[in-house]
Amino acid sequence: MDLIFLSVLIFMPTAGALVLAVLFNSKAVEPMRVFTVVVTAITFLMTLQLWMNFDPGVSGIQPEANGVSVEWIGTWNIHYRLGYDGISLPLVVLTSFISMLAALASWSINKLHKGYFVLFLLLETGMLGVFLALDFFLFYVFWEVMLLPMYFLIGVWGGPRREYAAIKFFLYTLAGSVLMLIAMLMFYFGSGGEFSILKLSAIGQGRVPGVQFDEFTQITAFILLFIGFAIKVPCFPFHTWLPDAHVEAPTPISMILAGVLLKMGGYGILRIAFPICPVGAQYGAYCLVAIGVISIIYGAFAALAQTDFKRMVAYSSVSHMGYVILGMAVWAVAQDGNIVVTSGRDYWLMGMNGAMFQMIAHGISSAGMFFMVGVIYDRVHHRDLNQFGGLFALMPLYSGLAAGIFFAGLGLPGLCGFIGEVFVVLSTWNFSPVLAIVAASGVILTAGYILWTLQRVYLGAEYKGPHADEITPMNAREATIGVTLLFMAIVLGVYPALMFDVMNGSMAELVDGMDAGLRAAQQSGASITMTPTP
Amino acid sequence: MDAVSLNYVLAIGAVLFVCGVICMTTKRNGIGILMGVELVLNGANLNFVAFSRYTSLGLDGQVVSLFVIVLAAAEAAVALAIALNFYNNHLTIDVDRGDELHG
Amino acid sequence: MDSLGSELSKYLLLAWLLPLIGFAVEVLGGYWGNRQDKRAAYLAIACIGAGFLLSSFTFYRWGTETHWQAFAGSVSESGHASVADPSGSDGHEKPDAAHHPHKAAGTETTHGTPGHSETAGAHDDAAHHSPGPSYSGTFYTLATFGSLTLSIDYYIDSLTILMFCMVTLIATCIHIFAVGYMSDELTDEYVDHSAHTSDGHHVHRPGRFHRFFAFLSLFCFSMLGIVLAGNIFQVFVFWELVGISSFLLIGFYTERKSANVAANKAFIVNRVGDFGFIIGLMILWTYCGTFSFGDQDLNGHEQPGLFSMIRGSDGEITTVGDDVILKTVGHNGHWEAPHEGESNRTLPYFLLVIAGLGVFGGCVGKSAQFPLQTWLPDAMEGPTPVSALVHSATMVAAGVYLAARFYPVFTTEVLLTIAYIGCITLFIAATIAVVATDIKRVLAYSTISQLGYMMLAIGLGGWAAGLFHLITHAFFKSLMFLCSGSVIHGCHHEQEMTKMGGLRHKMPITAYTMLIGVIAISGLAIPGSAALIGFPIAFSGFHSKDAIVATALAYTSLNPIHFLLFLTPLVTAGITAFYMFRLWFYTFTGKPRDEHIYSHCHESPAVMCMPLVVLALFAAGCAFGGENGPLYHMIGNSEPLGVASGVEAGGAAGVALPSHHAIHEVHGTAGVVALLAAGLGTIVAFLLYCRPVVDPESIKRQFSGVHGFLVEKWQFDNLYDVAFVRPSHIVGRWCATFDKEVLDGILHSTARTAIWIGTIDRKFDETIVDGLVNVVGNVTRSVGMSLTVFQTGRIRQYVMFIAISVVALFALLFAFMPKA
Repeated sequence: MDLIFLSVLIFMPTAGALVLAVLFNSKAVEPMRVFTVVVTAITFLMTLQLWMNFDPGVSGIQPEANGVSVEWIGTWNIHYRLGYDGISLPLVVLTSFISMLAALASWSINKLHKGYFVLFLLLETGMLGVFLALDFFLFYVFWEVMLLPMYFLIGVWGGPRREYAAIKFFLYTLAGSVLMLIAMLMFYFGSGGEFSILKLSAIGQGRVPGVQFDEFTQITAFILLFIGFAIKVPCFPFHTWLPDAHVEAPTPISMILAGVLLKMGGYGILRIAFPICPVGAQYGAYCLVAIGVISIIYGAFAALAQTDFKRMVAYSSVSHMGYVILGMAVWAVAQDGNIVVTSGRDYWLMGMNGAMFQMIAHGISSAGMFFMVGVIYDRVHHRDLNQFGGLFALMPLYSGLAAGIFFAGLGLPGLCGFIGEVFVVLSTWNFSPVLAIVAASGVILTAGYILWTLQRVYLGAEYKGPHADEITPMNAREATIGVTLLFMAIVLGVYPALMFDVMNGSMAELVDGMDAGLRAAQQSGASITMTPTP
Repeated sequence: MDAVSLNYVLAIGAVLFVCGVICMTTKRNGIGILMGVELVLNGANLNFVAFSRYTSLGLDGQVVSLFVIVLAAAEAAVALAIALNFYNNHLTIDVDRGDELHG
Repeated sequence: MDSLGSELSKYLLLAWLLPLIGFAVEVLGGYWGNRQDKRAAYLAIACIGAGFLLSSFTFYRWGTETHWQAFAGSVSESGHASVADPSGSDGHEKPDAAHHPHKAAGTETTHGTPGHSETAGAHDDAAHHSPGPSYSGTFYTLATFGSLTLSIDYYIDSLTILMFCMVTLIATCIHIFAVGYMSDELTDEYVDHSAHTSDGHHVHRPGRFHRFFAFLSLFCFSMLGIVLAGNIFQVFVFWELVGISSFLLIGFYTERKSANVAANKAFIVNRVGDFGFIIGLMILWTYCGTFSFGDQDLNGHEQPGLFSMIRGSDGEITTVGDDVILKTVGHNGHWEAPHEGESNRTLPYFLLVIAGLGVFGGCVGKSAQFPLQTWLPDAMEGPTPVSALVHSATMVAAGVYLAARFYPVFTTEVLLTIAYIGCITLFIAATIAVVATDIKRVLAYSTISQLGYMMLAIGLGGWAAGLFHLITHAFFKSLMFLCSGSVIHGCHHEQEMTKMGGLRHKMPITAYTMLIGVIAISGLAIPGSAALIGFPIAFSGFHSKDAIVATALAYTSLNPIHFLLFLTPLVTAGITAFYMFRLWFYTFTGKPRDEHIYSHCHESPAVMCMPLVVLALFAAGCAFGGENGPLYHMIGNSEPLGVASGVEAGGAAGVALPSHHAIHEVHGTAGVVALLAAGLGTIVAFLLYCRPVVDPESIKRQFSGVHGFLVEKWQFDNLYDVAFVRPSHIVGRWCATFDKEVLDGILHSTARTAIWIGTIDRKFDETIVDGLVNVVGNVTRSVGMSLTVFQTGRIRQYVMFIAISVVALFALLFAFMPKA
């Protein structure tokens, strides 16, 4: 029953895409738009139902401990296995939520409507599948399923340099998938033929007698997986596909790209790389934290220098996603007798939760920021930051909402961005004071580039760019999207427990499981040396 | 009769054969070549018959030579027909004129 | 008594949330359909006014429940009062309740018991001082991770209640004033004369009356949040929120570029301070595991708050080696360090210092202290009521409030830093104020300078003196700002003092309420009045500045090497009097300098004058009784443990802090010299600007170098522009270029390499692989061709070949066949 429900949830958009492809006249643009919104809304309601059914008291996988599954390719022990826990559920809901709003923002698409909406819905299936899959092979399949529609959505409906951006995006992500594939095969053969993520995690954490991934496997696989997922996140130095893809993608696709796709990287690390390779995670912790910090600072500096509105927002994503990597990896260890164990578990747990929250928060704020860019782009058809100004007088509602969303990105208390950022930063000192200080300095730069952008776009005496006569206030549809996003940003900012209640149990299990994995690996001979880190 | 040994007969057969071959290589007339062929065949026939007489081969050699004679008759018929056709096309039976198959 | 705490917290919660509700309604309500509608203002006033009433009621409930014990005065009533008071008063205020500081209102969070006076040193009666009760609790929890909890708390003591009353009272006055001041905005077409479009016209826009009040309400909510906050994280949250309210209010005239730049500058400079704040938070969070000020009750098991953890019940920081032992053993408000062998939490001493400096960094940003003072003068771009509320009375004082609140965490090294920062700030700002000609900028620099005084006091161990000055300053400075607002309003948005003069004839109420403020800030008093009638005839500023100077004097006598910490504020007291009277003389006396402005000038309407009068009353009288008055006693009631007895010289800084007793002994001297300095400043100002005996212009010409340096604000703005702003833009461009050239370059060269390899591959296929195949074919073909020689088509030759071949074969056969 649960299996059917989850499958229906995943393939709901696909069914919608089929209906759209077969039954709709490609000239009937308006019905197609409405139909897509309805399909995504139904999917959203179904994910809400999932949220209602969720039991925060259970830290493991729901609805059943090993996920619900049927055999798929028996010869290779591949199962169609689905399930969710406190880590994936918020992302599932975020996916359907952002997809719904992106569908509502798709009115600006002006060619080949049918193809666009079909691909859009297929994309949603891919994203939901990634978050719900519990079989590594299935995960990989959905990962690739998500890739192709995205390629076409950027490559066909994008801006002037769309081919370049689409190919760049595709090749980058594909390179990541290949690394993931290698790691998957390493696990498959190392475990004696197992694809289930849960079983692999148990093996990686030394909970299965007789089988264990040795230190070398764990470290190698972790590095492969991390690079694969880091491309998706994206963190420095794998981030250059992001600004191009964002700048060229149409507005709703940018929203999905920033709001959901980037989260797959973080999710992959939490769901696959960390639990299966705790030794590798500890091995790479300092490097990960450093990469996170560099991304924060580097993204902020780069954002400061941009003159393209959308590019600026894209770099802010690099900066904000740096907090995600940073928060996950603050796994401090200390010598206890002759083995190395977690030190300050609660701080790491806080960092993990903060990172997870930051993913959700960024999903909302960055989608909102891209939408805000799209609204003004639809009117004046340019994005040059030096050619805006004075929009507060011309579009008061829009400017107010945009200011709210940008403040969420700035990390203003009471809005969602603050909680994630500050929780991550607070948990960092326990791991490395130097990196913590560097990360904290990001608050100055963030304020700098966001406020400077606000000033150049919304404030000032008059609008300085072309198409001044086409500036009209937001229509009801646009206002709905903006208000919804800002509302969610406020709710999460004021009552973060909404998310923490759901994710905390699963996070605690992950943290404790990885600690146990580290101990088990050392008992079976792995030598973890604790290097003093500044 | 025994004074005539096998070697003499074989020598005659060989002479006949070589005469036939020389005839075939030197005659430009198609009919001449045909006659050379007959000489070669009959040289061979003489050998068959001789072996049939002097060895334990029995009647087999003679049967083969009869067979060859019949074959030669048929061959002659075909060859003469070719010669006629050749003549129709070239107004001669000089075989050196029929070199269309050269490489 | 826990019930009293939760009762008070409910009132204050309501007072705190009312402005938020006001903000929400005003934002959602838009402009109420009509730009002439004043309902937004009425709503905002109702919210903040109700907040004031609730605060007052809280004050009343708190007072009655604690039997007004705080006003008994636990400090100056110690029997030494008659020795020290400069005005000759020996404390007529409720002497009857004097010696019972610990009898009432014991709660679980009450610090200090009589038993501790022995350990603190029996030589000093001040050691009997024990802080009044404080109440702490949680409103709701944000998140819990294992043993770590982040929540929205409250921490209520007399200081909290006092600040609540002060903030809501001043805010109410300013809201009412703003109804008049902002009435220009009640129009569908407001002409902004300071903003120009590219074709040189003034900007026309709809009025934004409602939005102004929405932002004011948001600010009030945020500010009250800081005051009520029960943990340092929550302070940080509202710290940022006041920052953004300030950003919105400074940039209220969004059309003016200068306003936008100033708003950005304010927020970003504050963020620089917040960077330090976060570092402090991280250290405390990592080592103490809690942010709470007060002790917490977590599901039945008690956890000490930050103050208890660091200071314990004896007010001392316990160190072993280089580590501070955190006091985690105990219960019911009494916390001690664990004994030998027990597991303990420690915190390296230098990290405690860094944490203190970090949190103080936040205060430096918010209170515009050196070196982050540059944003405050620019913030005067906001409407004047904003300057009065946000940038003089409340928000900028929040830095001082936090420094005072966090006093127990500061080590002596940190306190010394605070003192010097305050000292540098107060001097720099005062010197700039001397040359400023914009009426609001003079007040802004004066604000910075006065905040420096407060910081100095806190750094010197004059905890109550600093806060005393905070409260009095809030009243007289908001009064002066509102007066300047009234002048600006009356002069049709002219702010240059060089175009004013003689205005007291046109606007008497403004002029004389302003004079009250000027006298208050200058610290003038009638000499000898104390000796004659028992208490000094002086306005509030005299008492509070007097307290600070006395603290500084006592401090310097203990630590002679830091004599500048006394001399600078003393000299600056004179400068303060000089530039404040300069402002007043310049504006209100003499002949009008600009006839046009003068002739159009008018007194402000009643809605603006009423608040002036109310604030003038408070500016004059709020410090009634000086250090024996109710205000000072109420502040002293919250004084952290150990302040009263002073600190012996020690630590890396090697400074000692004066005890209350020591301060009292020098009070008389300090009062006299401070009054002398102020009087001197006043007389100089009088001689230069009111009855000119020397032309100020000639002085200006003679010291043009110094004058230019001061007008350029000590070059701080230019320095920061060169040192920070431009470099960060350059680094930003570097990063962008690095992305474009290096990272994308690597990517593109990888792509080019791939294409190049493809080309090579194609060439290889075309030349080598295909070539090989072709060679085989060609060779075969050419061999065949060469053999055509034999294919003559001549039957005779063929026969010849056959014959020769047969012969040759036989010859070979015979030649090579082995003989049988």
